[in-house]
Amino acid sequence: MASLDDPGEVREGFLCPLCLKDLQSFYQLQSHYEEEHSGEDRDVKGQIKSLVQKARKAKNRLLKREGDDRAEAGTQGYESFSYGGVDPYLWEPQELGAVRSHLSDFKKHRAARIDHYVVEVNKLIIRLEKLTAFDRTNTESAKIRAIEKSVVPWVNDQDVPFCPDCGNKFSIRNRRHHCRLCGSIMCKKCMELVSLPLAYKLTSASKDSLSAHTSPSQSPSSVHGSRRGSISSVSSVSSVLDEKDDERIRCCTHCKDTLLKREQQMDEKEHTPDIVKLYEKLRLCMEKVDQKAPEYIRMAASLNAGETTYSLEHASDLRMEVQRVYELIDALSKKILTLDLKQDPPPHPNTLRLQRMIRYSATLFVQEKLLGLMSLPTKEQFEELKKKRKQELERKRILEREAALESQRRLEERQSDLASRATNGEVASLRRGPAPLRKAEGWLPLSGGQRQSEDSDPLLQQIHNITSFIRQAKAAGRTDEVRTLQENLRQLQDEYDQQQTEKAIELSRRQAEEEDLQREQLQMLREREREREQFQAASLHTRTRSLDFRDSRPFQLEPGREPRTHLAHALDLGSSPVPGSAARKTPSPSSALEPSRVWSGPPALGPGFLPQSITSQHSEVPSLNPFDEEDLCSPAAEGAASPPVAEPPCDSAVRAHKEYNPFEEEEEEEAVAGNPFTDPDSSVPSPFDEEDECPHQRPSGPPVPGNPFEEALCTNPFEVDGDSGREGEEPIEEELLLQQIDNIKAYIFDAKQCGRLDEVEVLTENLRELKRTLARQKGGAH
Amino acid sequence: MNVVFAVKQYISKMIEDSGPGMKVLLMDKETTGIVSMVYTQSEILQKEVYLFERIDSQNREIMKHLKAICFLRPMKENVDYLIQELRRPKYSIYFIYFSNVISKSDVKSLAEADEQEVVAEVQEFYGDYIAVNPHLFSLNILGCCQGRNWDPAQLSRTTQGLTALLLSLKKCPMIRYQLSSEAAKRLAECVKQVITKEYELFEFRRTEVPPLLLILDRCDDAITPLLNQWTYQAMVHELLGINNNRIDLSRVPGISKDLREVVLSAENDEFYANNMYLNFAEIGSNIKNLMEDFQKKKPKEQQKLESIADMKAFVENYPQFKKMSGTVSKHVTVVGELSRLVSERNLLEVSEVEQELACQNDHSSALQNIKRLLQNPKVTEFDAARLVMLYALHYERHSSNSLPGLMLDLRNKGVSEKYRKLVSAVVEYGGKRVRGSDLFSPKDAVAITKQFLKGLKGVENVYTQHQPFLHETLDHLIKGKLKENLYPYLGPSTLRDRPQDIIVFIIGGATYEEALTVYNLNRTTPGVRTVLGGTTVHNTKSFLEEVLASGLHSRSKESSQVTSRSASRR
Repeated sequence: MASLDDPGEVREGFLCPLCLKDLQSFYQLQSHYEEEHSGEDRDVKGQIKSLVQKARKAKNRLLKREGDDRAEAGTQGYESFSYGGVDPYLWEPQELGAVRSHLSDFKKHRAARIDHYVVEVNKLIIRLEKLTAFDRTNTESAKIRAIEKSVVPWVNDQDVPFCPDCGNKFSIRNRRHHCRLCGSIMCKKCMELVSLPLAYKLTSASKDSLSAHTSPSQSPSSVHGSRRGSISSVSSVSSVLDEKDDERIRCCTHCKDTLLKREQQMDEKEHTPDIVKLYEKLRLCMEKVDQKAPEYIRMAASLNAGETTYSLEHASDLRMEVQRVYELIDALSKKILTLDLKQDPPPHPNTLRLQRMIRYSATLFVQEKLLGLMSLPTKEQFEELKKKRKQELERKRILEREAALESQRRLEERQSDLASRATNGEVASLRRGPAPLRKAEGWLPLSGGQRQSEDSDPLLQQIHNITSFIRQAKAAGRTDEVRTLQENLRQLQDEYDQQQTEKAIELSRRQAEEEDLQREQLQMLREREREREQFQAASLHTRTRSLDFRDSRPFQLEPGREPRTHLAHALDLGSSPVPGSAARKTPSPSSALEPSRVWSGPPALGPGFLPQSITSQHSEVPSLNPFDEEDLCSPAAEGAASPPVAEPPCDSAVRAHKEYNPFEEEEEEEAVAGNPFTDPDSSVPSPFDEEDECPHQRPSGPPVPGNPFEEALCTNPFEVDGDSGREGEEPIEEELLLQQIDNIKAYIFDAKQCGRLDEVEVLTENLRELKRTLARQKGGAH
Repeated sequence: MNVVFAVKQYISKMIEDSGPGMKVLLMDKETTGIVSMVYTQSEILQKEVYLFERIDSQNREIMKHLKAICFLRPMKENVDYLIQELRRPKYSIYFIYFSNVISKSDVKSLAEADEQEVVAEVQEFYGDYIAVNPHLFSLNILGCCQGRNWDPAQLSRTTQGLTALLLSLKKCPMIRYQLSSEAAKRLAECVKQVITKEYELFEFRRTEVPPLLLILDRCDDAITPLLNQWTYQAMVHELLGINNNRIDLSRVPGISKDLREVVLSAENDEFYANNMYLNFAEIGSNIKNLMEDFQKKKPKEQQKLESIADMKAFVENYPQFKKMSGTVSKHVTVVGELSRLVSERNLLEVSEVEQELACQNDHSSALQNIKRLLQNPKVTEFDAARLVMLYALHYERHSSNSLPGLMLDLRNKGVSEKYRKLVSAVVEYGGKRVRGSDLFSPKDAVAITKQFLKGLKGVENVYTQHQPFLHETLDHLIKGKLKENLYPYLGPSTLRDRPQDIIVFIIGGATYEEALTVYNLNRTTPGVRTVLGGTTVHNTKSFLEEVLASGLHSRSKESSQVTSRSASRR
């Protein structure tokens, strides 16, 4: 019952309820509980007991289903082969299985045998030496026989009636022959002969190997003797019968066998077949490759990555070397393959097979290793690679910085840290605060200002990042990385310093420009007014028309104005058709539908655009949204969306009025970027402002000289304008001025409310100027 | 416990110990098979072994520049060959390894033959079995028994194989055997004897829980080898036959010359290794993926090999490409042939009825289905006969057993006498009388619940619902619930803990379905490692040969009844 059937299932039941420790069995759990939690609540103990009972029940239940679960697991196994589970391949590494060596036993038996054999052979060799030590050809047979007999005692003839090898009876015809090496007797048929050359070969070898007990003077003589023997053998071939063994030694088969074996052994020892020599070379080459190839691959990989750790020349030298070795391997294996192929008795099929196999394995080797050798870049490529790597690194750095920027931006948006921002940004965000929808363009400077601040702050951030990177790299002990990072940091700091100085310069210049602007603005305003008066007096044009006409002019005069060209465009487009249609005061669909709608459209349309635009400027009418949205899109759409022809001017007027700082800021950016138009630009806003301001005030001015807001809501000012325009231009001018003054008063109020004191100042000055102009006009008119 | 690795390690060690230089591997018939299962030619070429020779080959040339590694079974004839070889050595130096225990006298006679001192090593390396999968080994013995008893020669070979396995895995096990089988008991005793005799060899580091050797007899489950298989390895063996990882495809219509014989080895064929246990449908989709992979890698000669760089890229990819193309064409051919056979022989339908016969107890429906299939002309006589065999085994003692009618149907279908005789032979071989445990109606409450639940849930795959009887046996063994009255221990000591290392050996042959079961058991029961072995690895065909070789049919009562009955009807 308590047997652990499945650890997985049982485990569920035996968790300690207090510490959730996994205990294998009930008893373990109990003892664990006793030890660890004995001081704790008694209830828990009761709990644990019931838990154990539950677990037991659960186990029993599980047991019944277990087989089924197992089967399921089995089928799962089908699908997920080799993923998880205990695959036999994953069993723990196993050592070599049992082995048993019989070598010592084997050697013992062999040694006994070999000793006997070696003694035997050596005996024969020594005797052979003795037999060949004298000059056989010049010695008499009898003497030879005597010497031969002295080497080994001959077996008595009488003792051997039959040939021991073939069993034939010896007789007069079948004579006995003695083995000169062991003295035994055999018949002629069973007799073997050892030729002198063979004898010399065997003895000389033994002399060489056993040079200790043979005098060196003996070997030359024996060589000499062998030569002699071979010469004389021709003459004495027929002398077999007279039994004189000039050039050979009689022996039995056993002795001959032993000697032959000996000879064979000697041959093999000396002889190494060609294939072995070639093969040894082949193996040497392969070893070399095994050494060099990894080194090369390391180099090539590094070089191909554009690193400069290794020199290209060195690598290519190594590559050449390795390749030469491969060629050598190829050549050698080919040579082995064709070895002895054209010999007359064709080599044994096994030899050919061996050669084929060697070649095959060499080919495999080359295929596997050589083709793994990657190529090196050429010098140009390498340069390129180096550059690429540099760029890559650069890009990585930039990416990092951008990422930092991004995070920084997000951070800033979240924080909206007003104090730290430049004045423009402050303005925008402030405005955004109380009336977020009023000034859509407020965003432009804001973003510009933000960009400015981002440019500096992210830099700082990046510097912080890099310093922390350096710390980490130092901690990790990666000195090369530390070096690059430090360089990086230095660059960043330089850049930051530069930026800071630029910023300071910019700030001072901006102040100067502001003053300039104001001055110029006023001057322009004055000029415009004068011009307008002349114009109106001369050609009786409607105010609106003249406005448009003049609108387009200043832009044409100043083509270098970069930042607002799209606005100019919008005005250009909108204004050029207007003169015609507005002069006739009938909307001509062909010329320009949109402007005509705005300017001479029914009252329903008018209030929809203009009054709202006016009211929006004053920020007291709630319905501002449509205007702002259009504002946003109209400059962006570059005049394509021209309906609020009057609006861009009015917007820009407002902008110019209240925030020409942000406006300037954009220009500043360009200035920073090295825009040559900086100087002309600085004067730009003022004409812009002027022309925008004035015309705008005029159309909205006449109908409601005192209170523009009510008027704007109920009547269509333009038609009235057109009608009344011809009769009383001067008063309208006057009223326009008055209107403008009112507007500016409103602005000032607004600015004061928002706490933008600098703007208030500017506006006040503007207002003063306007009042002066009005006074002058009044004075001029009357 | 990885048998493939164990043998491979032995071979590697031999080659390493011989040092550098050109080598020849001298083997006998059996060791050639043993080596070829774990090493490919190219793999072994890298180790400077260039020639493979049979010790009994007379046509060997003297090549004194080669070193000889001899891996031989310690049989008399091999020793004799070796003695001849040493008297007139053909190679410069000899490293001799016997795959099993060799007698001292053999060592002595070898030593005395080595007059030229060419032998540098004499060792026993116990790689004396065919390692099929990491957890599956075979001895390639077909027909191990005569009647119910061992063929003495095969008993000794099996003992050798089993002891070699234990030695190669360094396990000195406790032995349990199937009581109902005399052969199992005999083998258990023989193994025990060897362990006792060679006690020095079996002295390994003691593990906490001693390993367990369980010896079973095929008779206990004659159903499993009669079923059609649907997992890749088992299916290939069933339909095409695997012989030492080789598959003969020469009978496949329109086969190309180089695919007449293919090698399926998990050791160097990744696709096979990943798919050998997957079922046929999954293989199909995997083959498709393999093809797509191949097509992606296959260079389009016309358009792509224009520049030298392209050529170079092609050449650089060539070895892999070549290897892959070999793999692709091989598996496509094999799977194609399998599916051809499946549809030709109507195997899906046949297999469904087989599974019903093996796993369910609905006699009338089974009978009806068999009769229906026997009328089907697409069903081969072989499949028809095995359906009847399954029926005969399952409903042997059923009250309304209609085996005679089915036999008549077989005759009418034109099934040859050989197969009809085999029906009764199979029953004689693995019928109820000889079975120690009940194959079909589980007595165990757990098993009943299991079957009940299975019935409720319905079967997920009708073709693979059968679980070999071995599964239950091993399951019980692992849980420590295997009954001692059915599977007693040899000797007095018993295992008190649950076993961790299990070696199961099936006299009369294992099957790949059982190998899969063991594989899944290994995967799902951590801490338990099981190795399966058999005198051979059967498919239905070889199993029927085994039955035939046991010679049981001739003494069968039932068969004489059937034949007399059919004769009388004539």
